[in-house]
Amino acid sequence: MDFMKSIAIAASGLRAQAGRMRIISENIANADSTAQAVGGEPYRRKMATFTTEMDRALDAQLVGLGRVKTDPSDFRIKHEPGHPAADANGNVQYPNVNSLVEMTDLREAQRSYEANINVIGASRRMIQRTIEILKS
Amino acid sequence: MAITDLPLFSMLRTRMQWHQERQRLLAENVSNSDTQGYRPRDLTPLQFDRKTPTTTTIALERTEAGHIASSNASSSLQASRFGGYNVRASGAAVNLEDEMIKVAANQMDYQAATTLYTKSLGLIKIAIGKR
Repeated sequence: MDFMKSIAIAASGLRAQAGRMRIISENIANADSTAQAVGGEPYRRKMATFTTEMDRALDAQLVGLGRVKTDPSDFRIKHEPGHPAADANGNVQYPNVNSLVEMTDLREAQRSYEANINVIGASRRMIQRTIEILKS
Repeated sequence: MAITDLPLFSMLRTRMQWHQERQRLLAENVSNSDTQGYRPRDLTPLQFDRKTPTTTTIALERTEAGHIASSNASSSLQASRFGGYNVRASGAAVNLEDEMIKVAANQMDYQAATTLYTKSLGLIKIAIGKR
């Protein structure tokens, strides 16, 4: 049945968006993870990418979570002389995570997730209508 | 004669297949809404085909040579000439709101087609006196 394909495609979207949310929550949780010792690097922000995968069995373009990339931008520097990871000048490197950006990203992922759920609901109702032909 | 040979049913069937196919494409668009370089696609709308008979007069079939030929034997029931649909790319990137509207519209049109199908089945049931 073709509607099952629609549902499978939307489910791949749900899976991809859930993976993106996982990475975003990782970023938010590690927003203050500094290095353990002097000279080490703090947590580096991760970014999810999406790829289109051709599914031969379904004959459809599913979406998948691609390679997780790291953000190469500069770390935040704070002056904290008492910190164990502080350098000679008393500066500490903090992760390049901006919680505002992460929250916006999270909302976007949530919106896409809901859109996929809508598609599943619509396909389900269409299947139901087809079955109702039998009931008449 | 199968029930799908009736022009009304074959038309409705084509329409339902079209909605089914469209639903698949819309699901693809929505799930790939965050994929870089993905272009959303949509089906070309169903074209009204002048060649497809919409009003057929039902003629008696001649199953044996000895039968008397009916006056309008030429217009008999025929199978649908459905030849598949084309897929075209639409727009630059996926607009989730537009896709949602399309999904809802698709669902409603499908519902209309299935309701018509049910009603037509009911008509046939009245004709064979099973009510």
